[in-house]
Order: sequence, then C-alpha cells, then structure tokens
Amino acid sequence: MMRIVPKEEVCIGCRLCEIHCIVQHSKSKDIVKAFKREKRPVKRVEVEEQGHVSFALQCRHCDEAPCITACLSGAMHRDDASGAVINDPERCVGCWTCILVCPFGAVRRDEVERKAVGKCDLCPDLEIPACVANCPNEALILVEE
Amino acid sequence: MTAYDYAIVGNSAAAVNACDALRARDPRGTVGLFGEEKYRCYSRPLISYLVAGEINTQGMYYRPSGYYRSMGIDFHKGVRVEDIDPKRKILVTAQGERVKWRKLLLATGFTPFIPPIEGLDEVHYLTFVSWDDAKRMLRLTSKPVSALVVGAGLIGMKAAEALHARGAAVTVVEKMERVLPMALDAKASALVAERCGAKGIQVVTGEGVSRLEPKGAAKGLAVLEGGAEIAFDLLVMAVGVRPRTELAEKAGIPCAAGIEVDEYQRTALEDIYAAGDAARAMDVVMGEPAVNALWPVAALQGKYAGMNMAGGEIPYPGCNSMNAVEFFGLPVLSAGMVNPPDSSYQIISRQGEDGEYRKVVLKGDVLVGMLMAGKIERAGILTSLIQERANVRRVKNFLLDEGFGHINFPRSVRRGRIEEGVAGLKEAATKAVRGG
Repeated sequence: MMRIVPKEEVCIGCRLCEIHCIVQHSKSKDIVKAFKREKRPVKRVEVEEQGHVSFALQCRHCDEAPCITACLSGAMHRDDASGAVINDPERCVGCWTCILVCPFGAVRRDEVERKAVGKCDLCPDLEIPACVANCPNEALILVEE
Repeated sequence: MTAYDYAIVGNSAAAVNACDALRARDPRGTVGLFGEEKYRCYSRPLISYLVAGEINTQGMYYRPSGYYRSMGIDFHKGVRVEDIDPKRKILVTAQGERVKWRKLLLATGFTPFIPPIEGLDEVHYLTFVSWDDAKRMLRLTSKPVSALVVGAGLIGMKAAEALHARGAAVTVVEKMERVLPMALDAKASALVAERCGAKGIQVVTGEGVSRLEPKGAAKGLAVLEGGAEIAFDLLVMAVGVRPRTELAEKAGIPCAAGIEVDEYQRTALEDIYAAGDAARAMDVVMGEPAVNALWPVAALQGKYAGMNMAGGEIPYPGCNSMNAVEFFGLPVLSAGMVNPPDSSYQIISRQGEDGEYRKVVLKGDVLVGMLMAGKIERAGILTSLIQERANVRRVKNFLLDEGFGHINFPRSVRRGRIEEGVAGLKEAATKAVRGG
C-alpha cells in the first residue's frame, strides 16, 4: 500500500502539486489545455497555508475509511489491487456524505457533474503520483507500507 | 434443520456491513441472511434519485450482483422472519421453516409511522421508504398529477423533490414551523424552503392535516387544521419512522424506543446482537443512547456488530446525528446538535450569498454541532472534531473560515492526524485536549 506523506518543514507552498494533479486528471494531460481549453478537473490535493507554514494534503486512504462505510450508494470502495480508496463516478449520486465524514476534508465536489470525484486516486497510471513526482523540494514523499 | 454460525435478520446497510466485517474476521463460519423484500441489497436513500430519473435500477444496488455468493452467504430472498427462540437458538420464517443459529443479528430497520388522521383509511396513500414505494410512485406519476406530501422531514422533502422531477404539482404540509425541523436550524430550513418554493413546490408549515376525504376512485381532498383545502391525485405520508422492534420484543429483549444494545452492539440476550435503524446505540453528542435512523450510522453499527459477532471485542465508538442532503442544487450538511436547547451553548454563524451559510455550536470548548449550506467543502474536519469531543479552544475563532483545516491545529496534533490516518484520530483528539 502506497501512502503520500507531506513534509511541512520543506514545503514552500508553491502549489505545483495542485497544478500537476489537475493536469494528470485532465483529458489531454496537457497543462495549457487542461487549464484553458478543457473542462478543468477538480484538484485532488490541497495546500494548507498560514504564514510560513504550508503542506499539501490529500486522501489518506485510511485503513478504516469512514467514507467507505458512510457512502450511501456503495460507490466509495477500496481497490483490492492497490489498496487505494476509490470513488466510482458511475455509482456516485453526489449525496456528499463522504464530504460530511472525511476527517481530512480530502473529498471535493465536481459541481458540474455532481459527483464526489475530487479525491486522490494515487494516480493509477503513473509509477509515482503526479504531486509527488513534481514537488520541487521533496515535500511530498511516497511511503510503501 | 438448517444451522448457521451467523443468522442475519435484515438486508440493508447494517446487515450487509455486518456480513463484510464478520467475513473479514471469520472466513469459514456459515452465514444465513434473511431479507423480506424481493431484492438483493439496495440503497434505500437512493429511491428518490430513482424516481427523479437520476439513476437507473442498476444504480440502486449497494453491492455487485455476485455479492452473496462471493461472500459465502446463504441469501434467503423474500423471506420474513416471524419468530426467534433465544433459548433454543432457533428462528422461524413466515413459511414455517426453522433455522438454528449460533449468533443472531437483528437488523430489522424501521417502519413508517402513520398518524391517525380522520379519513386516512378511505383514501389511497403511499409511503416513501422502499423500492416498491418508488415503483408505485413512478407508476402513479406517468401522467402529471397533483401530489400532497404530509411531513417535511428528510423523507417527505426527498419525496417532494422526486415528485417535482416527475412533473407533479407538489404541496408539502408540515405540522412544525419549518421544513427539515430536526436535521436543520431555522436559517438553513428557510434556505431549503426558498429553493423549493422557487421551483414551484408549495410549502405549508405550522399546520397539520385534520381530515382526509376520498374524491372518486383515486383522488382525495385534505382539510388542514386552519381550514384550507388541498385536492390531490396522489398522497404521500411521510410523518416519521419508528424502529421495528416487534421481533426483539416478542423474544423478551428490552426495547425502549429502539432495541437496546451495549457498546458491542449486544442486546440483553446472549448471542443476540442488534444494529441499524432499529437499534438504540450511543450518541456521543447527546451523551446517551439514541436512535439515529440514518444510513451511515446503520452501516457503522453493522460493521461493529459484525466484528464483535465474529469474536472481536471492539467497542462501537458512537455516532452523532448527521445529515448530508441536497435540494435543487443547494447542498446542506449537518452533524451533531444544530438546535441547542438553551443559552449555555455558544453559536457562531456566518451567512453569505447564494445560499451560503455556516454555523457551529459549542458547549464550553467542545464543538457539539455544525451546519454548512452552499459551500460544504471540508465539512468533515468539523464532523470529526464533534465525533472526537476534541477541545477546540485554540481554534474556535477559525472554525468557520474557508481556509480552516489542519494548519490551525498544533503541529503535533496535525502530525498525528495526517501520518497515522484515522487510526491516529483518537490519540490526536486526546492530545488536543491536553494542548488546549
């Protein structure tokens, strides 16, 4: 099971993680198209910042994930292969119960599609998730458990 | 006689989550699940989405089609359990079959409460709690109709929204002063009522139905307490629900407003457990057991019942009354106590434009309730603070800020939460108390 751990001591608050997350989850995976021409995806990582302190936070893929238990439709589930907590947009009805129960505030709405898609999927197509790979100061590290 | 290690009465959130949890601990024990409806497990709260045409029948199912087989569960579809004998550890089905069990879970759910209104027996009405109800509603709204919904709780309001989507002219009558009186506070209720009103749904509050009269074969007339008359083609009764406790009561299990359970979801009788909308378990905000007939609460109770039936000794952490709803594009989330009973509670609120509203309720330095309408992102952080009874003295003034998050917590608390995931939550909350 892979987990992404933030290191606030070295985070510079540049938000490149947010940008690369959006690009990676866009249709074209092209930075300009993703932001200017296509429907911009919802970010799945969020930088929290106050003064000089900042860190990026995404879904913790909890062992006892409250979002999975609370999900009304069964859309939120654990992917058996990767261990990641994944929302199936086909089955999600946009009731927002996952947002109500996530202790990390790590699920966002896609307000157009009315689905709770804005959560980290650990970038299944990449060896290293986009936010980790593109952090300029190793403030997001990948831990294999 | 058929015999199971685990017999499950019920086939909804609590029952299925119990099966998942007990299977994870006991891969071999035999499981028999008895569901009186003729469906495999479906998501009850989705019936309004089905009627509104937002999902199809496939979207109703809570688990994939091969679920029972893959989990090694004997699914008794459409089989109602009539009786249980706790001494001999036997259950009896409506068909007269006798089944032995080693451990039993009562996940019998709720039943709609139908108030005694004069003339109700003479008119046709629907409830709105099951897939069959949804099918009836779909059939009865194949042509545009005038619909009257009695009760503006979650079920009534969701019925109203679904009927509206079916092209019905909808009126909702609520005896209390406002819509969603339990789940929301007055301001949030007004926001929802305003949205519904703008879409053409008539909302009448502070007035009950005093009398009903049939008009021809299917239609009817409702006379309100104030004397107003409302004609309808379709009547939906959605006044409230009650825990289904008959089976437990017949077996001699104490049931005061819900099947009483301890922290392990055990009833007073040995090897009989209860979970879900029928059970009365700990509410951490109320500080005492309560029935919270809500899907996520039922699922969580089921999970703990399952773990403990399979030999675990893991106390249920308790829950709080929480709701996530959306009406005509306005999302509203609430958790814990949103309507404090007296002035010993502190309320902080903020109102913006376009349905934006946020509120927290505190008792001393402990967050006991929250409500967010319009912008709901990251509401779960507040829910978790409520659930953990954390001391929030240091962050009180930031709770409603849009940027509120882990950045506001002391560094050690933040670390604990983030690095250890949910397993670290309890510890983190303890630290927050010490830190505060």
